[in-house]
Amino acid sequence: MTVDNSENQKLRSITSELGSDESNQTGDDFFDELNQFSDLETIQAVAEEEDKKAEKREGPHLMEKFFSKVISFYKENEFFRYAMWSILLILVSTIALTIVEYDMFKESVMDDVGKTFIFGGDEPNWLDTFFHTFWWSVVTFTTVGYGDVSPVTHLGKFLTIIVMLLNFGVVTLLGGAVASVLVAQRLKGDDTLDENKFNDHLVIAGWNSFVPSILKIIDANHNSISVVILVNEMDTDIMQRAIAGFGFERLNISHIAENFTQEAVLKKAFLEKASALMILPDSSGLLPHEEPDEDKTVLTCLTAKSIAESCNIIAHVINPENVSHLHRANVNEIVIPDDHVPHLLAKHVTDPGVPQFFDDLIVQEEKDKGLQEVAIPKSLSGQTHNKISAFFKFKHNWLLVGYAIRKAGFSLEDQMGESGTPLIRSMIKEQLDGAGISLTNDEHVMVEINPKDDYIIDEKHRALVLR
Amino acid sequence: MNPTAEQIQKINYFSKVPQNLCAQIAAVVEVQDCDPKEQLLTEGDTGNTMVLIFQGQVEVSKNMMVKTATGITTSRKPIIRLETTDPPPASEPVIKPTVSVVQAPAFGIGEFSLVLDDAIRTAHVHATTSVKYGVLKLDDFSNIVKDNPEVGGSVYFEVAKSAVQNLATASADISNLTQAFFFALTR
Repeated sequence: MTVDNSENQKLRSITSELGSDESNQTGDDFFDELNQFSDLETIQAVAEEEDKKAEKREGPHLMEKFFSKVISFYKENEFFRYAMWSILLILVSTIALTIVEYDMFKESVMDDVGKTFIFGGDEPNWLDTFFHTFWWSVVTFTTVGYGDVSPVTHLGKFLTIIVMLLNFGVVTLLGGAVASVLVAQRLKGDDTLDENKFNDHLVIAGWNSFVPSILKIIDANHNSISVVILVNEMDTDIMQRAIAGFGFERLNISHIAENFTQEAVLKKAFLEKASALMILPDSSGLLPHEEPDEDKTVLTCLTAKSIAESCNIIAHVINPENVSHLHRANVNEIVIPDDHVPHLLAKHVTDPGVPQFFDDLIVQEEKDKGLQEVAIPKSLSGQTHNKISAFFKFKHNWLLVGYAIRKAGFSLEDQMGESGTPLIRSMIKEQLDGAGISLTNDEHVMVEINPKDDYIIDEKHRALVLR
Repeated sequence: MNPTAEQIQKINYFSKVPQNLCAQIAAVVEVQDCDPKEQLLTEGDTGNTMVLIFQGQVEVSKNMMVKTATGITTSRKPIIRLETTDPPPASEPVIKPTVSVVQAPAFGIGEFSLVLDDAIRTAHVHATTSVKYGVLKLDDFSNIVKDNPEVGGSVYFEVAKSAVQNLATASADISNLTQAFFFALTR
């Protein structure tokens, strides 16, 4: 199997547009060379496999999706749960009483309504009677009890007793749920977050004007994290107002209104289960002229690493003096805002257009557009860069510009290898483990931009593509 | 009872020594038996004898400082077990996955005693099965070498090879320990 005809034609037309006869020749050669990849079939097979997986990912039918959402909402939302039970109880009591006390409710509806009925014309039919019974059920259930109609038979009365007793419990629980929702909203932050909801989430420690923009970009990337916990001392109401206008589509954002430098607070944000912690210069609780205290960033990094050593920590610092402290605290990545400014300024003079390109690429990033990191199909591990590049081009029409490689900064275990006496190696491991020192230094992301064609890709590589 | 020349030749240090000269070595060695757990060599002792293991399994161990709940203490850590294959141990040998086992027809332990006077034993050696062993004294060996210099040539070459290998391993150990030391300091 080779590339299908339409793609062939597209490629040929692209390559033929290279200009002169000579370049046409070059383009054709390139095309032929591309088609002669022994693994092109593999790439096509992988592309098809990816399509199938994507179809599978689209998941079950819409109705199934709807029901699964309702079920999960039912399980999570106490208020909804009791409301559903109330409705069920009303319906059951209505049906039971309509059957048992049909004559009584029929007569009653005739007395109440007169001679014109919605469903039955001059004579009330079972639907009119059912509606009248439903009216009785709601009046009874809500404890209003007008008394305009009541059961007559012993069985009807007996059923009513059951309904009233059950109603007693359900209404109490429903009232409690309403009250708890109101109280929870009054409370500062989600003090008791449900641990089950948090896994591989993002924790953002600190608040400043960047946070909404950060969340907006994360929200736009559909393959990225969707659960975020904000930890800062900002008033929850103010913070909610600050982010409300952005109307995030995917993000599920929770807030803990406490001091993020404290171990207990970070644990409350389930840091040990988080995939990343972002520490920002914290402006919450500061007066307009006050500068954020960056010591908090270093302290938080130290605390976080003691709780979750493998957590990917990204720190944003304003003062470059703190960089060395953060390195000592084993931060994974550091962002220094002014680091790129001299380059951008100089490029305006040396290469006009380049800074604008960066602006378009990064700042004005649209939904699912721009530079993004995406996974490489596992089956392509071990292939060369030009084949991976061809895969993304054919499959998605994305331009592969480089790779993000997650590597341990230094691994003592790798360094020692099989050298020396096994006893000494195991003793070193035991002693360091005992002292709580991991043999592997924290992972960092390295970037390989536009590597050579024969550069081999392994499973630690993720593609950086221009979409 | 003396071992046979073939038994002596099975030990790698004597593998290149001609059989008639191995017979001379065998004549000055006496085969002895020892029970499991019996100590053959003690770390830190000095000695002028090489122990030749003809049958059985022995464990080589070293004293190490280890950190325990009660503080730092010295504990004996097994390094390796040596097990003969020709003949194999008379009783079931010890199998512990944490310590590697080296198998060979026969073994020579304390080979530096054939070169140095009062060589210091660098590890403990104790029997883990019943063991048949012999002791080769430095004086006896030196007398044989005086009369037959070619014995010295091949045996000392094997001892030197062993020493060089030990040196390379020790060098790698120092490198690993140094790296671990700096790694721990910078954390």
